Amino acid sequence: MLKKFTLILVLSVLLVSLVSVFGFAEKLTVIGPWAGAEQEGFMPVLEAFTEKTGIEVEYKIYRFEDLVTMLPAQFSAKKTPGDLIFMSGTEWMVKNAEHLADLSGVINEGEFVPGTLVSKVDGKLLAGTFTGKIKPGFWYSKSFFGKHGLTVPQTWDEFVTLLQKIKMVPGIEAPIASGNGTGWPLSDVAEHFLISFGGPALQEDLIAGNIKWESNIVKGIFEKLVFLLKSEYFSEPAEWTTILKQWEKGEYALYFMGSWITGMVDNPDDLGVFSLPGCEGMVFGPDYFNVPIYSENIEDAKKLAAFLAGKEGQTISASSGGHIATNLGVPVEVYPTVDRGVAELLKGVQSLPDLDDTVGGEFQPAFWDQLKLLWVKPDRLDDVLEVLDEKMP
Amino acid sequence: MKIKIYKKIIHDGLAWIMAFIWIIPFLGLLMAAIRPMDELLHGWWNLETLNLTFKNFIGAWNHSNVPLNQGTINSLLIAVPATVIPVLIATMAGYGFSRYRFPTKRSIYILIILMLALPQQMIAVPIFSIINKLGLINNYFGLIIVHTAWGVPWITFFMRNFFTTLPVEVEEAAKIDGASDVRIFFKIALPIATPAIVSAVSLQFTMVWSDFFLALILMYSPEKLLATQRIPLMRGVYFVDWGLLSAASILLMLVPILVYTFFQKYYVKGMIGWSSK
Amino acid sequence: MHRKATFTHLAIFILPALLLICVFVFYPCLRTISLSFFSEGKFSLHNYYEVLKSRDTINLKGFSKGFPLGTLFHNLLWIIIHLPLSTFLGLTLAVYLRNVKGGSIIKSIIFLGMVMPMITGGVMIRFIFDKNIGIVNEFLKLFGFLPKAWTAYPETALFSLIFGSVWLWTGFSMILYSAGLETIPKDLYEAAQIDGASSMKMFFKITIPLLKPITIVIVTMTMLWELKIFDIVYVATMGGPGSASNVLALQMYTYAFKALNFGKSSVVAVFLTIITLAVSIPMARSAGEGR
Repeated sequence: MLKKFTLILVLSVLLVSLVSVFGFAEKLTVIGPWAGAEQEGFMPVLEAFTEKTGIEVEYKIYRFEDLVTMLPAQFSAKKTPGDLIFMSGTEWMVKNAEHLADLSGVINEGEFVPGTLVSKVDGKLLAGTFTGKIKPGFWYSKSFFGKHGLTVPQTWDEFVTLLQKIKMVPGIEAPIASGNGTGWPLSDVAEHFLISFGGPALQEDLIAGNIKWESNIVKGIFEKLVFLLKSEYFSEPAEWTTILKQWEKGEYALYFMGSWITGMVDNPDDLGVFSLPGCEGMVFGPDYFNVPIYSENIEDAKKLAAFLAGKEGQTISASSGGHIATNLGVPVEVYPTVDRGVAELLKGVQSLPDLDDTVGGEFQPAFWDQLKLLWVKPDRLDDVLEVLDEKMP
Repeated sequence: MKIKIYKKIIHDGLAWIMAFIWIIPFLGLLMAAIRPMDELLHGWWNLETLNLTFKNFIGAWNHSNVPLNQGTINSLLIAVPATVIPVLIATMAGYGFSRYRFPTKRSIYILIILMLALPQQMIAVPIFSIINKLGLINNYFGLIIVHTAWGVPWITFFMRNFFTTLPVEVEEAAKIDGASDVRIFFKIALPIATPAIVSAVSLQFTMVWSDFFLALILMYSPEKLLATQRIPLMRGVYFVDWGLLSAASILLMLVPILVYTFFQKYYVKGMIGWSSK
Repeated sequence: MHRKATFTHLAIFILPALLLICVFVFYPCLRTISLSFFSEGKFSLHNYYEVLKSRDTINLKGFSKGFPLGTLFHNLLWIIIHLPLSTFLGLTLAVYLRNVKGGSIIKSIIFLGMVMPMITGGVMIRFIFDKNIGIVNEFLKLFGFLPKAWTAYPETALFSLIFGSVWLWTGFSMILYSAGLETIPKDLYEAAQIDGASSMKMFFKITIPLLKPITIVIVTMTMLWELKIFDIVYVATMGGPGSASNVLALQMYTYAFKALNFGKSSVVAVFLTIITLAVSIPMARSAGEGR
């Protein structure tokens, strides 16, 4: 009796392990943070890969914060939840270099927009880059501008004059809408000012911690922002999709947003965008991915990496709208009209990483939180900058 | 005589007005859930245009990122075991504390009472580490175990208090007749304790269902998130759709409110039972 | 009276519970305490120093410049405002609703705030105080006030949460006081009435003193709730803006799971526990006594 039972038990365990090892060996698991509509835009890329190579791909959603919690334990057990993982934390990837596969044989650096391939440690390329989203500047309705005789400013003074004029337009609550997700896009606005007036190098120095938030140069730039806040050119921070609707209705004129906004309005062709005059850098947030060395299908994963970073994968993504390619081989024609304008903007400027995404940790929520404070209490600038320095790692 | 009646009518009327005022926020939530956003933009109390829709409830239930149908199942998968098991274990412990003498009993009991004051934050980091080492992070068992362990102190205290109000004569008699202690517990003590057990079950179930913090640190895969965790996710990363959020909140509250409605007597007795001896 | 326990008895009745508690509650507590004393691998009080010094915890400048005042003060404020309000309101309501027709329904309505998960409590508070669709602003408009985004401004964020939580929690003290009132024998009142006492006098000389035991429970439980508050703040303001509504429990979470600084998070947890233990002493004393 006992013998029979043990035999059955052993057989079933064997069966289960066989099935789990071989039954799903062919399938790649891709992990990404997108869901809903964004996920719908991504799936065609994976499907095209399957069509081309015959390798099945499964997609799972995990946010960066969850990955940071889960991966260390998995990696130390030499396991990984995904064969290819999308995550925004490039610094994290550098810190965990030992667990990630080298993609330099698979991805050709020369093909990419300068500055977009990052996370290199000792010649090892830890992260591949897919398409991304840009935060170009202030979006406006072309018809609104036409109706009220407004023009795109070419200098700072013209910008301020523009804001004054907009304030006079009847029905306007405030010239610039301030969206408040969990704190961004306030952070995007702040970064745009820093880049425009301090140059691209300032963004990089701040990320690296080479310059303090309380330094004169940073303070001076923030004072420009504070000036606009005090003159009530910005609205109070409000839930960012509610305010999007109000912006469309004409209660606000300008909205600082990322390029994904083109997918969210009724009339994308009416949209125009301009950066602050003199801006030479733009926050470009490419979606980065890595391949952990513990992947059981590492060769297939590398193939997928090549596909995603390569012209083919990026073209599909770019054509779905709201995404800008990092691969220089993607022709401008594949973009939907309004995205073409955005892609043009990216030419000739340096692409920069998003500050709070890159620094992460305790700094990011503190950054958002302090900006929310600055927006309603602009005179507290000194305190805000002090806290930011405190919270830098 | 008449004045007395008038006084009563005014008194009661005011009471009902107070109740109405108290319930206004709920009404608002309901309105936000069943009316389209445009109607709400300038106040949900404006009833000029009234286009009722259940779209938000369906949207919350079948949300593309964090559907509540999945969340509800997950929450139930956690809440039911995490109610039944601790109630069982702690009732036995409560009985033990009320009936037996043993060395260090008083100290242990005081320790248990002290645990009632503990914030969950006190165990958060080590619990994460322990559950991680057991490989139970992001696993239903992990969360169930923690909720069970967290519930045992208060339920022990509660049931012990209850058992001390039960006269021991019946049990003594059974013992003389030769029944084992375990038998006495299951055949005599437990049936009488049913009301108290129902109270403990109602309260523990509600607490586990409503928990957010423990779920936040121990569960993170999107498909395993509990219902409570899905609410803040519906607000905030990209969207705040008040309609969706209100509908989701209503769906989440429904379960504990139903428990309260059906078990009100026991629920309230449970809360009071803390104090009365 | 009490039977002597044999080992088997203990093993069956007490052991499972004890085991669970030791492994999953008691040991983690001890571990958290020890974590708080370790900084960079060495035993030190550095974490305590850092947390106490940090403006997250105590921000004295806030008293002149405005919020934030630091989590310690935020929780303290919560207690100072919420405790008397909800207790007093609960007592008043319990007394007022004593013989009202349909009183139990009214009481249930008021109690609903307690029954719901606190995550939705936070959503409700956000909703009530919202600039466009919140009823508080609508109500104030009647008096000529301009609408304000209460939770977006540092000087009002915490207060909106606190007052919102009064609406949520008053049901607790009301229900407990209602039960307490029932236990007061009617003859006491009758006797006093015969002696010519006014209802005011009866209230203060009979009702209140006899409600003392339950008042202790209410006060203790309410204070514990005010100290441990997390869900509401997390979903309504996430501690902001500029940490103006941060509370100890959220601070602990941020240190542990965002900054990954377990030393500091353990210090906050220890503080929180010391305070909650201190608060629970009166209630624990009366519960541990007897038998």
